[in-house]
Amino acid sequence: MRRIYDSEALHRDDDEAFAPSEEERSVRLQALRSIDSTALSDRLIPTGLRRRAISVDVSTPRTEYSEGEPVPFSVTMKNSLPFPVTVSTASPILWTWTVDGEREASRVPLHEPPAEAGRFRFDRGERKEFRKRWEQMFRVSETEWESAAPGEYTIGAGINVEASDGAALYDETVVRVVPE
Amino acid sequence: MALLEVNDLTVKFYTQDGVVTAVNGLDYRVERGEKFGVVGESGAGKSVTALSLMRLIESPGRIESGEILFKGEDLLEMSEEEIRSVRGNEIAMIFQDAQTALNPVYTVGEQVSEAIRHHLDYDDAEARERTIQLLDRVGIPEAETRYSDYPHQFSGGMQQRAVIAMALSCDPGLLICDEPTTALDVTIEAEILDQIEELADDFDAAVQLITHDLGVIAQVCDRVMVMYAGKPVEKAPVEDLYYDPKHPYTVGLMSSIPRVGDSRERLQTIPGTMPDLVELPTGCSFHPRCPYAEEACTRKEPPLLDPETGAEAAASSAEHAAACLEYTGDLRDGLDYEIEVRGQDPRTDVRQVEGDQDD
Repeated sequence: MRRIYDSEALHRDDDEAFAPSEEERSVRLQALRSIDSTALSDRLIPTGLRRRAISVDVSTPRTEYSEGEPVPFSVTMKNSLPFPVTVSTASPILWTWTVDGEREASRVPLHEPPAEAGRFRFDRGERKEFRKRWEQMFRVSETEWESAAPGEYTIGAGINVEASDGAALYDETVVRVVPE
Repeated sequence: MALLEVNDLTVKFYTQDGVVTAVNGLDYRVERGEKFGVVGESGAGKSVTALSLMRLIESPGRIESGEILFKGEDLLEMSEEEIRSVRGNEIAMIFQDAQTALNPVYTVGEQVSEAIRHHLDYDDAEARERTIQLLDRVGIPEAETRYSDYPHQFSGGMQQRAVIAMALSCDPGLLICDEPTTALDVTIEAEILDQIEELADDFDAAVQLITHDLGVIAQVCDRVMVMYAGKPVEKAPVEDLYYDPKHPYTVGLMSSIPRVGDSRERLQTIPGTMPDLVELPTGCSFHPRCPYAEEACTRKEPPLLDPETGAEAAASSAEHAAACLEYTGDLRDGLDYEIEVRGQDPRTDVRQVEGDQDD
């Protein structure tokens, strides 16, 4: 593709105020100076420390919901370090939530992410909050859903790193579904 | 063989908030010379569909599955070089905002002739000549002097015409128009649409027109697909869709068109907004906004069905199809709406319908 500097389309004139000048620039233009925090985080901060720096918390406004009532929950992630941290995830899906171990309350796999790592970036001291809702339904096939029976359910959320349960990158809470 | 055949296209965006399924299992085909409309609210996946056809989806978006056959060749299997020779050449696109589609530091003429030089191997003088012809053809006055004007020296309508000239410059087989008239006022809109239609006929190009304006679809298209939350909810020949809509969403869209001389105090709209594509409602995605929704709608997602037989519609079928549980017999109360056709239904009467100049 022809670029602007080798195109005849641009009108250059030294005397005209709003036209680019004919002179070549003596200094090279520099991009805005910034630091690639992901690269720095990768090189300088050990993986263990990066994982320990991030905390995950799952909470629901109440612990008891009547049957059929949607259960709202919020997932809060916080970087406790005073510098940016990037966590490598197993796939481009950065984090997931589960109900009784079923990803996104689905008994069939919903996504087939490409086999490559993802990057979950946290600014210094950043707190991310995601609000989700469980409709008290489990997806049982591509096109069908089933209501959850009364009982106790564990809502969990974790960053998509391998074996996150042991580390602090996972949290869960229990809600009770009671008959109306 | 259809000119364009899209099979089971799924496009996902991996974001921090979750996986956005912008297009989910989309099937459709466009025949040679056909004008195919795609309609839906903002966020229905119309533009993502169009961008996928040109393989212009950028990170974090990914075309997860499916195939896009153009003249029998799968665009998704092509190398970057091959797709570049198709893009702008055999498949051209008219973007919704001409001001941002044009590069502000090139002259308009240079931008149009660049495509001609690149794809058709014309030399500078020939490309300039053809560009001037094209600019003249799309209705830009004094095309020769306007050739060396910058985009900011053009009005909105003229910019859109320049973009149309660019799209038509290499004689494409398929022209994708992504809301080409959104940024224009109604008088210019009518002119531009007439022009797209006329030029597509002259150049024998098929048109995929994306819009949220049902009036535009009625004027231009032969067949329509209504999209909601990344999925097609109704596909039909244009007259069937207008005179006999089968999906409650289409009915809602129709009833929200303001009419001159309507005595109703308030305009009927569809309550609520398009759901978050990260977290689609269970069952039929439209059920939280549907006035006819029942318990079954929250548990089962209907595929596109033939409204007469209730059988699943074939992807290649050009017949009327709608994705509603009404046609599987799962709804107890059924769809309780009435369609009132004012004037004559052109499907039953070949005489010209009052006010309709197309027939």
